[in-house]
Amino acid sequence: MATVQHTFLSSLVHRSWFPLATALMLSVIDVAIPMPATAADRLVVYSGRAERLIKPVLDAFQATSGVQIDLLSSGTTELVNRLHAEGERTPADVFITNDVGSLEHARALSLLQPLDGKMFDGKIPETFRSPDNSWIGLSGRFWIVVYNTTLVNPADITSLFDLADPRWRGKIAIPNAGSEYLQAGVSVIKATHGDQRTQQFLEGLKANAGTQVYGKSSQIVDAVAKGQAAIGVVNHYYVYRHLESQPGAPIAALMPDQQEGGMGAIVNAAGIGVVARSRHTDLARRLIEFLISPQGQKMFAELNKEYPLNPDVPADPALPPRHSFRTSTVQLVRLGELREPTMTLIERVGLR
Amino acid sequence: MTAAARQAFPASLSFLGITVAGLIFLPLAYIISLAVSTQPAVWTRLWQTRIPELLWNTATLAGGVAIGTLILGVSLAWLVVRLEFPGRRFWEWALVLPLTMPTYVLAYVYSYALGIGGPVEHIWQRVAGPQSHVFSPQSYAGATLVMTLDTFPLVYLLARAALLNLNVSFEEVARVCGLTRLGIIFRVTLPLLRPALVAGLSLVMLYVVSDFGAVSLLRYQTFTYAVYQQMTGRYDHSAAAVLSLILVVFALIFLLAERWFRRRSRFYQTTGRYRAAPRKPCGLLGSAAITVYLGTIFGCAFLLPALLLLKWTLATIAQGTLDSRFWGFVWNSAMLSGVAATAAILLGTPLAYLATRRSARLNVLCLQAAYAGYVLPGPVGALAILLLFSQFAPFLYGTVVILIVAYVVHFLPAGLQTMEPALHQLTPTLEEAARSLGASAMETIRRITLPLVQGGFVAAWVLIFLQCMKELPATLLLRPVGFDTLAVRVWLEASEEYFQLAAPPAFLIVLLSLPALLLLLARDWRSA
Repeated sequence: MATVQHTFLSSLVHRSWFPLATALMLSVIDVAIPMPATAADRLVVYSGRAERLIKPVLDAFQATSGVQIDLLSSGTTELVNRLHAEGERTPADVFITNDVGSLEHARALSLLQPLDGKMFDGKIPETFRSPDNSWIGLSGRFWIVVYNTTLVNPADITSLFDLADPRWRGKIAIPNAGSEYLQAGVSVIKATHGDQRTQQFLEGLKANAGTQVYGKSSQIVDAVAKGQAAIGVVNHYYVYRHLESQPGAPIAALMPDQQEGGMGAIVNAAGIGVVARSRHTDLARRLIEFLISPQGQKMFAELNKEYPLNPDVPADPALPPRHSFRTSTVQLVRLGELREPTMTLIERVGLR
Repeated sequence: MTAAARQAFPASLSFLGITVAGLIFLPLAYIISLAVSTQPAVWTRLWQTRIPELLWNTATLAGGVAIGTLILGVSLAWLVVRLEFPGRRFWEWALVLPLTMPTYVLAYVYSYALGIGGPVEHIWQRVAGPQSHVFSPQSYAGATLVMTLDTFPLVYLLARAALLNLNVSFEEVARVCGLTRLGIIFRVTLPLLRPALVAGLSLVMLYVVSDFGAVSLLRYQTFTYAVYQQMTGRYDHSAAAVLSLILVVFALIFLLAERWFRRRSRFYQTTGRYRAAPRKPCGLLGSAAITVYLGTIFGCAFLLPALLLLKWTLATIAQGTLDSRFWGFVWNSAMLSGVAATAAILLGTPLAYLATRRSARLNVLCLQAAYAGYVLPGPVGALAILLLFSQFAPFLYGTVVILIVAYVVHFLPAGLQTMEPALHQLTPTLEEAARSLGASAMETIRRITLPLVQGGFVAAWVLIFLQCMKELPATLLLRPVGFDTLAVRVWLEASEEYFQLAAPPAFLIVLLSLPALLLLLARDWRSA
């Protein structure tokens, strides 16, 4: 058998495969090591926001400004780790994420540079910026409850804490513990209600979710629409996006904790920061100016049915009006420092 | 060439061998040292939170798959070795085909088939009423099913080889002594098969604990998946290192068990009075029942998933969604795998050569060290290499170089296993003759050794190349941002439930895995 195989294979290749292969390898390694960007008007954007949601906006900026954009999309935490590891050698100029906690963490690691606050006055409220303007929020996103309208009476749920009730055993779908906005949500609950109550809540939620722990929130909404789960916890836009593509789907969104004295809906923001080592600060500032302008705000928010933060720009009419519900009063900037203790709590509970 | 230069060459070869072995072994050593030096508080925290659940999940999955593969593997091997029925020779080969399905491909097909609104549920609802559901694929049962269907050929292959080598006179003696047929199976045949079965099961367990593709798509929490989640969700990698160390210990146990029992399974009396058991012909009914049994397993594990992938692939082509991006992914995969396979062969050659030609303790030790990749499951290897690079060569962070290193570490062992026998088959006297006729060491290698071992080395290259094409977790964790391969595309599309979009890369991977399987079988078919 072995000899047959050998002669057969030997006939497949030329005798000199060894040097050939070496040459091939060297040529590829040559390609593999990236050249630093040389063009002057070129911006490298690291984005934790899905490519589908950010590329059209960046394309629009590129078309109007002539600045070439190189977009690298990946997981938010992976990108923070990457920026940190690349240190002074990073090719990145701008960092965009869907989670303020990660931006604040990057700021604490000195990965971002402060900007002049005057640039944002009247455009982005101060609550959606870091105190030294190292990062700036671009759109608002709310943690809401999605439920299947044939399986759940919305009057049964007024607060997120209701989801820990054993009556929902096996009926709740939640994002996995790696999700940045689950972490941010838990941080807010923890800051409002303290460790013990948060832990009880998470334990109940964990028991109720069972195996329905998803890596993607679109899957949670899908599971609720199919009736695989009755209730899900997601960011608001997943629901409205699903309803836009499938108007008949038996799902609806519910703003939790709206009662008097309640926590209010948990808010997070997508945001942007200029990388500390960037050599294209002027271009980066122009990109940010575009993103906070009415045109940029409208595009950025509408692509994903989020809330524009620029008060002059109206939100998508399909969404509940921004002033029709109360939001949590925990300051966004605290999401950075709260994250590690939150992760420990999440791990102690054993969320996946 | 002077005598001194002739002497220097082997010495520099030894040096090269030690260096390569050291580099390959480095990631394992690093991950161990990292885990050991992690603060006790992290260990305590993990022990109180994640570890018990992960241990339980991993152990029960391994146990369930072991039972499943044992039943399937032994029964199938028994049927094709001991009975004669129409199509027997076809089934004998066909039953190994599930090995061409990477676990993530099978897992994704099953998460569609068993999912809500999937075909299995439709059929079931016709039988059991419109409100009934089948079990969810995202569960213990689902993970066990997929892993069992994917790995039973490993047990089947070893059981088949052991049955073929089994001397029938043992059974005849038992018969003469008055044992019933069932008694013979349980008291003679199975005990004789035991070493082969334990070896096969250890291999299955090694697969199960190292698997990332199936458990991540089925959202079943095992150590590999937990390490992945720690790496992508946390800033601090110490917890990932701790979980990794536990995983490495698991893998090591199963690897050593496999080696040990595989060696023991060869101590059969196969010479002298050896006679193979005659195949018993089956009647019409018996043949039909066997064909249904084999067909069901083959259909579930290979044929139906493959046809579904083909159907989806054709639909994608018809819709014109198979664009230039797809060929970009093919190129990325092929380029990476080609470079990694070449690098592995270049680095593996001195190791294999030294260990076979100069089997001094040091050289054999070097070869053993290079097998470290076997006990570094994808996410663990990725973690070790990521941390090593970001500490010592951060400028390579985020380039394909880091990925190629991961591939080499991970797949060099498989390559060495093919290269070693090729060198063993070459008698040293040929080289000695060349040297005595005045050829230098270098010339001997170039003109005698290389041409003669070329076939085995090419086989090793192809094998590594195809394994790299399938690799998922390390690619997912280490690829340059935006640099996708076929395997990564399957996983990304499948985890967003774009089942149809995942099909073309998945189908291509299955097709490409066929030659690798043939190569492996050519090596192992008779002897296993």
